[in-house]
Formats: sequence, structure tokens, C-alpha cells
Amino acid sequence: MTNEAMLQIARNAVSLAKQKGAAEVAAVARVKRDVDVTWRDGKLEKITEATSRGLEVRLYVDGRYSTCSTSDLRPEGLASFLDNAIGLTRTLAKDPHRSLPDPALYSKATPEGLSMADPKIESITALDLRRTAQSMEEAARSVKGSEAILSVTTNGYHSWSETTQVHSNGLEASFAGTEFSISADVSIKDDDGRRPEEGEYAWVRLYADLPDVAAVGRRATERALARRGAKKAPSAVMPVLIDNRAAGRFLSYLLRPLTGAALQQKRSFLEGFVGKPFGSDKLDFADDPLLPKGLGTRPFDGEGLAARRMPVFEKGVLKNHYIDTYYGKKLSMAPTTGGSTNIAWKLGPKTQAALALDVKEGLLITSFLGGNSNDATGDFSLGVQGFVIRGGKIAEPIAEMNVSGRHVDVWKRLIAVGNDPFAYGTSRTPTLVFDGMQVAGT
Amino acid sequence: MGHDHRMKRRQFIEMGASSIAAASASGFLLGCAGQALEKPTTAAVVPSADAPRVSYFSRFGVDEGMIRDGLADALSRGADHADLFFQHRVSNGLQLEDGEVNRAYTRVELGVGVRVVRGDQTGYAYTEELTREAIKRAAQTAAAVADGPARPAPKALAVGAALPQRYTLDVPWDGIKPAQKLPILDGVNAAIFKMDGRIKKVSVFFADEAGAILIADSQGRLVEDFQPMTVLYVSCVAEQGGRKETNGYNVAGRRGFDFYSPETVGRVVREAVARTTVLFDAVPAPAGEMPVVLAAGSSGILLHEAIGHGMEADFNRKGTSIYADKIGKPIAQPFVNIVDDAAQPHARGAINVDDEGNPAGTTTLVDKGVLATYMHDSISAKHYGLKPTGNGRRQSYQHPPMPRMRATYMLPGPHEHDEIVASVKRGIYCQSFSNGQVQIGAGDFTFYVKNGFLIEDGKLTRPIKDVNIIGNGPRVLERIDMVGKDLVIDEGGWTCGKDVQSVPVSQGIPTVRVSSITVGGQGGTQGAKASAKG
Repeated sequence: MTNEAMLQIARNAVSLAKQKGAAEVAAVARVKRDVDVTWRDGKLEKITEATSRGLEVRLYVDGRYSTCSTSDLRPEGLASFLDNAIGLTRTLAKDPHRSLPDPALYSKATPEGLSMADPKIESITALDLRRTAQSMEEAARSVKGSEAILSVTTNGYHSWSETTQVHSNGLEASFAGTEFSISADVSIKDDDGRRPEEGEYAWVRLYADLPDVAAVGRRATERALARRGAKKAPSAVMPVLIDNRAAGRFLSYLLRPLTGAALQQKRSFLEGFVGKPFGSDKLDFADDPLLPKGLGTRPFDGEGLAARRMPVFEKGVLKNHYIDTYYGKKLSMAPTTGGSTNIAWKLGPKTQAALALDVKEGLLITSFLGGNSNDATGDFSLGVQGFVIRGGKIAEPIAEMNVSGRHVDVWKRLIAVGNDPFAYGTSRTPTLVFDGMQVAGT
Repeated sequence: MGHDHRMKRRQFIEMGASSIAAASASGFLLGCAGQALEKPTTAAVVPSADAPRVSYFSRFGVDEGMIRDGLADALSRGADHADLFFQHRVSNGLQLEDGEVNRAYTRVELGVGVRVVRGDQTGYAYTEELTREAIKRAAQTAAAVADGPARPAPKALAVGAALPQRYTLDVPWDGIKPAQKLPILDGVNAAIFKMDGRIKKVSVFFADEAGAILIADSQGRLVEDFQPMTVLYVSCVAEQGGRKETNGYNVAGRRGFDFYSPETVGRVVREAVARTTVLFDAVPAPAGEMPVVLAAGSSGILLHEAIGHGMEADFNRKGTSIYADKIGKPIAQPFVNIVDDAAQPHARGAINVDDEGNPAGTTTLVDKGVLATYMHDSISAKHYGLKPTGNGRRQSYQHPPMPRMRATYMLPGPHEHDEIVASVKRGIYCQSFSNGQVQIGAGDFTFYVKNGFLIEDGKLTRPIKDVNIIGNGPRVLERIDMVGKDLVIDEGGWTCGKDVQSVPVSQGIPTVRVSSITVGGQGGTQGAKASAKG
């Protein structure tokens, strides 16, 4: 379905809803095509290929609000769908804070140079993904020690999607994006009967930015072999490094309570910190929706607000919350944007290995397992696995352990960040170093 | 909309209104579709138990000829098996915040998925256009997984034996107007504020869902089912002396409007308030290994993570589960019996039939302490030369099925609740949970305790909160050394995630004692070496 056709569908939804009595309307039309190929132990495991499309309509009727979604894009289907939705909206309580955004904040023109969509995707077939997955497995099995491998699963995936947004108060905008990813997961046999699994992946906007396929396969096996003999270590308070790939999860617990909804609903341990120090001066990042090739890059947000770079923490001081139009009105705050995109960190000068040398004795967390964080109080408790740091070197693997604390205390103990932002995610986290965290084991 | 590799390798369970509300607000993320947008007319089309027949052709705008054409294209390259999964699901959500029911969510999903299976290889495609041409195109795409000569489609399609009726509704949702639902949310909100002055914010999310499925396969089987669902999630924020705490309660099931009796609503209100305000008295939980007592009910999360996922047969046929090669071996005390049950009436995890059209009953995972049966879909059953166990489930028509849990619980054991608590000198008692996760191969798993109590000298003393527990599946099963008589199947709205697919599940357990497991508290390691008596 072409851009013009999706635009027409969104326009029709807006005009139809207005005819049927909506005061204001926002329509978002999306289309997505993806191909997903999984290869396992020498043969194809699964291949999925499809195009899906859908329409979301936000209705503002008599001071009331609702959202509805469907993929029936025929005009006659849409009419009865909107009739039902508008009828439902009229039964709700009025909400004086609901309205479309201020048109002055809308995206005027798509910024140049975002590099979000790669036309190369047209020439890559499911068969290409299958060959990629197959060579990743061969590389994974070429590593020394691979006789311990129980199973290798590899995957090649790509998608093309387009979002078109039309608002009744003067927005018509769209953007397209592509994603390419490859991954390898390796299970190995350990002496104690455990079958640890680890993997490697890459996830990018442009095909040319994918790393060497064989290197991804080999790295997956190396990571899995490094898990052999993992043990629980004693409980203690100790310095903790969080690996750049794992740190995005830890960061998400800081971003979650930064939304307007969390703030207004009293579910934020970050309430009242704007302009005040919260963490150490190493806690320093901005939200950057305009980062070229960024996985979170977008010219406008879900409400149509034009994207702009926004400082979040500067030298440990909170600068901004993620405020959408609705909670902005409730809080009497100016809207910024509804949610995080790419996180741009102020990086440190050192590699992870150099940071480990500085720490001397402690724990390197390479992944989290379950656990949670209380957005209202900032208490967190998270399962971890990783490695002991001994004499400044990465030593034996640990498993079945846990870290806990309170965000308000722990981020003050952020003593260093690495020079190694993780490229294959939106958090773009460097290695984080905390000088003391409660670790539970034996 | 990112394709997130971190998700691909995660097997987890969680509950929470925020994720549900977010999904409803942008249904496309979960897959929303719709050609025929008539609201399902539940009463008229519930398959009759007396006279098996197809009542859903008109709902999907298809006929037997179109289905056979689709199957023929799916088999055009010689697969072992092919099926078409038609789905029409309408979800209606209402949300109360700051005292008003002031937002609604409607989501319509309609589409068909075509699966082609050769050995343990799967080709899959789907479409939201329910036309002969679109179904044929999807079938040809899915058929690419095979590469042999064509197999004939079944000459005729027939409805098999009548399905059990595990969730027939007394008062179905299609006769209920929105104005009749609003008082449920308003009533919960008012009662909570009335009950405790420390409550400052209440959020209520309510949804009802009507799902119809029709499955046709290459053996000529036709199966249809109507799967209703409702959830009520309540979340509170309370303040006391400048301190904030948050918790809540929720109920869910394949139930109708009559479910929301004054008794049910009253229970939701009482539990939400009690579980939130108790947190003001909480002391830091300890850190380290200690005995843990799990309260009857939602503590079944332990089974879901410690053994449930690891017993899903796909991980075992691939040799990647820690339970591979352990069938027939003792793994727990003889009084430990664990099942995965599709037949709990009206349970959130109940199904009359699985998403491959196979009968769904009770699968015994652990029988008198011995590992008994994996949970199978048709691919893994064929691999092991067994009958499928009815565990083949999927999130929607956009996904192929795989082995999944339904309602997973432990049967009652020989011990008394009070006896179990009294046996612990120093440990913790876990009451409510928010989420859990497992590593299938290493066997390590976690679950997050929202609230519980310290056990000191055999008595529940001070409350604790926000603490993760981490253990290793087989080792923890060995250490379940007491099992109560008081089995409770939890009524909460649990959702299980695996390979980016979410399905509704239930869980339950009697009071049990785990003699030693790692508790991830902030309260230091004092007392960590204490052990259980007996």
C-alpha cells in the first residue's frame, strides 16, 4: 500500500469521524511488512512473512475521549466502526484536559538526514536471510570448544514500516523506517547438568551497518562457553559494573517514572527533582529523536509533536520529564514529548576493561533475570548473571544472584561511565560503574 | 514497534494494568485487524455441544471451498501438515483515573494465519484480507518451507466430537451496554477512597473480550471455539508521613457480567487497600539464602518459572531445557504433584481446545515427585511419537502455535498451613507477586515479591516488600519439603510471554516451604544463614 493510499485512509477517517459528531480527531495509519527466518542445527526452523496494516483513531467527542483501532480500511467498514466508537465515547465522563496538541508544536517538515529507511530492503529476500542464518550457525560451530554445543539457533529479520498521521487541527505527516537484525543463540552442556545459553545480536536501520555475520556467530559461542561453571557467590555489598548491553534494562527503571503519567499519578520517585541533583555528575544524558540511523529516531512523536533533542540529566541534575499534551495539562506543565527515543550519553574516556582495572574487586553484570523496580519509591531488586572481577580482571562466571537498592541512593554512586555506547538498542548505554551495591547470593 | 532481540530469548510472566492499557491504546502493536466488524453475537453462535456443526463461516465471510483452496495451496509443495487459523477478537476497555471513567479503548482483530509444517519446520504467513485470493497468497508464502511434490487437500472438512464447555457465560457481554459497566469502575474507586484516607490515587482498568476461532487442517478437521475474557485491574497509591507506596489487586477469567458481584468487587477493594497500606510498615527484606514459605494461590508463579517453561516440549526436543532427559526420574518429594490443566472452569488459562484444534485436558508434569510428561504441541508430539497434550497455543492469527501453559498448579499435600509457618525459625513468607522470568537451559529463575512478611521464630512478624527471589528450577523443586492442604488457584490476570507471544494463563499452589533459596533484599545479610527446622 502506497504512502498516498495510507494518507487517504487517514484523511477519510478524520473527515468521517467529524461528520459523525467528533469535535476533534487524530488518525494514525500504519503498514508494516516483515520477514523473519529462524535456522536451527543445520536446517530451517521457521519462516514467517507477512504485511499487516492498521488504523488507530483518537476521538474527542463532546469533551470526552476514546481510542479505537482496526484494520478494516474499506470506507463502509470504517463508517460502522466509527459509529460504534463515537457512541461509546458519549457514555464516558467528560475530561477537560483532553484535546489535540497545540498545532504550533507540530512537525512542519521532515528533517533531512535521519537515515531511517534503507531502499536496499527491496532486494533482500527470505532466501538471503536463510543463507545469512545458515552461515551464522556455521561460524558459531567453528569456535574452539564447540563440541560442548547442544544447539545453535540463528535468525535473520527485516521489516519496513510506514506511519502516517492526520489530525483535524492541521497535521498531515508521515515517515518510513527499516530495521535489519541478525542473531545467534547457543546452548551448551555444562558439567553439572545445566545447559547455559547465551547469544549475540545486531539490530540496525541500514543494511550496510550490519556487522560481519560470522563474527556474530562466533561471539555467540564464545559468550555461551564463558558461562560454563557459573556459581553463586557470597552475599555482600560490592562495586558493580553493568555491561553496556545489559545496562539499558537498568536505565529503563529510571526512564519509566519520568513520564507525565507517572508524575501526575504520584508514581514517580523523581517527582520534585527538576533542577536538583539526583545522581552523581556522571549521570548525564539527553533524549535525541533526531540521531541519524538511531533505532528510536522519529521526526515526530506519537502525538505529532515535532521531535527535538531534550536534555534529561546534566551532571546528575534532572532537567526534563517526558510530558505529553494530556498530562501536561493536568500538571500545568508544557508538553515535551510522550516517551523516550534514543538516549545520547555523555561518555567517559575508558573502555570496559580499563574500568574493571580501576574497580579491582567486584561484579560485572552481563544480563538481568526478572526482578522489578517500584516507580513510586525507587526500590529495586533484580536477578543477575555475570562475572567476578578479581585483581582488575574478568574472572569466573556467576549465576543465580541478585542486586538490590534504591535508585535515589544508587545513582549517586555512579562513579564512571565507559566510552562504549551499545549500538544495537535505543538506550545506547555505556558500561556503568557503581561503587557499592547490595548483592545477594549464598 | 522494534523487533527486540532481548524479548526473543525471554520467557516470563507478568501482570499489570499499564501494559494492558497501553496495548489497547495502540492495538496495532498487538495486531489489530478487521473486515467484518459486526460485534460478535455470542449467544447465537456458541457452538452447540449437542450437534457439532460449523457456525463461524459467516462470521469470517468464508466457505468450505475457500478453505479447501487455501489448504490446497498450503500443501502445494508437499508438507506433512497444514492449517488455517481464523480469528475474530473484539476487546473493549474502560479506564478510571482521578475519579472519572474518562477513556475507552476498542480493538478489533480479524484475520487468518496459514501454517505449513514439514517435520519440525514451520512456514507461516497471515492476512487480514479474508478473500479467496489473499488466503491463497498467504498459503503459497507459507508453503515455501517445503520443497516436494504437492499433496492433495482434504476432500471434505468435518467437525469432530463436541468440545467441552468450560466457560459458557450466564450473562454474556454482548448484551451489556457500556453504561452498565461504568458503575463497576466507579464503585471500586469510591469504595477504596472510603475505606482508607491514606489512599491518594486509584486507577481502575476494566476490559471484556469476545474471541472466536475457527481452525481447519489438512486432515479435514474443523474446530471452532468462542473464548470470552474479562479483567479488572486496580492499582492504588497511598501516602503516609510523606512516604508513598503503591500496590493493587486484580481478577480475571473467562467470565461474564455476572462475575462482578458485590462479593467479587468487595474482595478486589479490600485486597487492593490492604496490600497497599501494609507496605508502610515494611522493613527491608534480608539478602542471602534462607527458608521461604509461599502463600497459597499466586505463589504458583514459582511453578510457572521453576518447572513450567522448562517442561514445554519445544525446548526439550531441541535439547536446550534443563529438564531434557529427565522424564521418569525423581525430581521432588513424593508428595509433590504438579499439573498443567486446561479444564479449570472459567479460569483465565482455561481452553476448550488448543489453537491447533487438539483436545485440551490435564497434563501431569510431576507425578508423586517423578517427572512425568512434557507439554506438547503437534510438532513436538510427533517428534516424541506421542499424542499432543493440547498445549499448542498462540497470541493471535499473526503467530504460529507453540507449547504453552494453561493453568499450572500443584496438588494439595500432607501439611497444615500453620505447621509450615511454625517450622521456620528465620525466613520470609511471600504473599503477592508482580512478575517472574526463567532461563530455560541454566534453570535459573526469579519472581518478584510485591509484599510478604518476615518469619521470626515460627511467626509472621513485620511486613516486607519489593524483593526479588532467585533460584534454580531443579534445585528448588528438590527443596520443596512441605506442601499444604490448602490449594488455591489464583484469580489474577496473569499473562505469559515467550518468543514475543503473550497468552493468558492461570496458576495456583497450596502453601509450600522451600528449605533454602536466595532472597534479594536490601537489608544486609544478617540472618541469611538461618535454616528451617524439621
